[in-house]
Amino acid sequence: MDAFSMGLIAAMGALATVAGASEDIESDVGSQSNPNSQVQLAAQVGNPHRIYNKAISGEPPANALWAATAAMVAYTLITAFQMPALFALVAGASVAALFNGVFAISAYFGRNSSQRRFNQWVYLDIVRYTTPSIMAHAWITSFCIATISYIMVYMLPIHHPFPMPIIALIWGLAVGAIGSSVGDIHYGGEREFQNRQFGCGLNTMLSGQIVRKAEAGLRNSIDNAWFCTKFGGPATGMGFGLTVFLDNWRTTVFDPVTQASLAIAMGIFFIIVEVFYNLYIEKSARRKYGPYPEYKGDIAA
Amino acid sequence: MTVGGGAGGAPSAFDPKKIRMYGLVGSVVGIYLGAILNMALNTNVFSFVGAVAAIFAVVMGANSVRRICAYGIGTGVPSIGMLALGMGIIAVMFGLSVAETLGFGLLGPIITLVYAGVFGYIIGVLANKVIKFNIPVMEEGNADLSMAGAMAILGWSFAVSGNLGYFDIVKNVLMTGYIAIIFIAGGLAILHPFNANLGPDEKQDRTLVNAIMVSGIAMIATGIAAILTQGLAAGLLQLVIGFALWFYFFKMYYKLVKRDAAAVVGTGLLPPTVQ
Repeated sequence: MDAFSMGLIAAMGALATVAGASEDIESDVGSQSNPNSQVQLAAQVGNPHRIYNKAISGEPPANALWAATAAMVAYTLITAFQMPALFALVAGASVAALFNGVFAISAYFGRNSSQRRFNQWVYLDIVRYTTPSIMAHAWITSFCIATISYIMVYMLPIHHPFPMPIIALIWGLAVGAIGSSVGDIHYGGEREFQNRQFGCGLNTMLSGQIVRKAEAGLRNSIDNAWFCTKFGGPATGMGFGLTVFLDNWRTTVFDPVTQASLAIAMGIFFIIVEVFYNLYIEKSARRKYGPYPEYKGDIAA
Repeated sequence: MTVGGGAGGAPSAFDPKKIRMYGLVGSVVGIYLGAILNMALNTNVFSFVGAVAAIFAVVMGANSVRRICAYGIGTGVPSIGMLALGMGIIAVMFGLSVAETLGFGLLGPIITLVYAGVFGYIIGVLANKVIKFNIPVMEEGNADLSMAGAMAILGWSFAVSGNLGYFDIVKNVLMTGYIAIIFIAGGLAILHPFNANLGPDEKQDRTLVNAIMVSGIAMIATGIAAILTQGLAAGLLQLVIGFALWFYFFKMYYKLVKRDAAAVVGTGLLPPTVQ
């Protein structure tokens, strides 16, 4: 281990933190993944809305596509034309963002027109001003992840044996899975049901009864991005950043070939520490906020 | 939570058997056509034919996803798309390596197809009998999906490598990592159409046009990859054809959206509720 590789690991951790945050906000702007169920249900239970409905599979496959696209384009430009890495990565992320835009628009059009009988309209102004925001976040995510894969394959002292697009695919799946499990709860549980008592969970009776009106005017997906930036996005960023940083730290400090057992033991140690930390957080939250009171009709929040 | 998707089979204007025939014949003939033209003329500009052939397979796969998932599998749509490509990639590797071992490289697509069909059918039987999905079209649909996934991967792999030989595909597609983009773009091409159009008023023609549109995007990606493996001319040709296909079918998709939506408005307040 030397200072240079440690610096690279730190940079990867920082990039991963940004990627995680932007990934979660990207999915929230478009209502992807599990909060999407409620957006989809809303019109079906008689609440047509003006919220983006970006159903591009789950977050893991979708982000795997953006990341793999960015890495594939960057790898091609670097290998075939010897372009500077930064330029190639930027170009790759731009192609990924364009792909993202097409997928997002086609999902918004498709999902809404498949709800004709519930009178869910297709609003073109939403497509015009929300899609660029989604694409911009996808650009940041795919740029960061493609850069992480570039560092792993070309810059770390021990080059990763896998090709760059495959590493980007795996990190894309990882960031999508983390965003889906960490950040989405903030959007799906808190923002979509903001008018219910805090922490009440999602009663089946409330399915589709999402908040459709904002502080002023009608709620749109840009408002949701603003809200999710406060907690869901950064929490996802921390989750993904720690995953990338800790995982690469142990294989940089300990040589993966000669000290493999130490690296594995360190990984197990991290898992044990995190399990106990999670247990502590859960217990302290239960202690502070106590059991949720029985449901006695709607209570003013 | 399962959303949308009316249960009991989706109404369709195009018969699934016909789509299967077009899908299989189109993809196999296309892959062979591209391979033979490339070999006979000693060039690689016809590699794009493989990517076009993959579109036939994708349409068949998207239709099969639609048939299976119309039985109320809402959140399972992405999973089934990934399953299709997972089955497909095993079949492609098996088919190509067996053909190479036998000494008839050109037999690869046929062996792949047969293996994929049998493999998919067995997975379908397992899903229905062991996991107890109890979806009537599961066996048939999974065989279709497996064959569609295999042919899509084979078509795009050929489009990237320009050759059907096992070692060329391993060198140009697997070792470069381009299999990642083929896998995920192919998977989304098969799963995205139905997923994006999920809902009680989903229409088959709109879903299938979406499939061709997404395949156009995948073709743009394989075109970029082909720039490295086959040179600028073959890669750019593929990229431009992919873009043209995407553009044409995106416009057609938008037309169908305007036909099917309750209203396409520039802006407006909430629509009146219909229950």
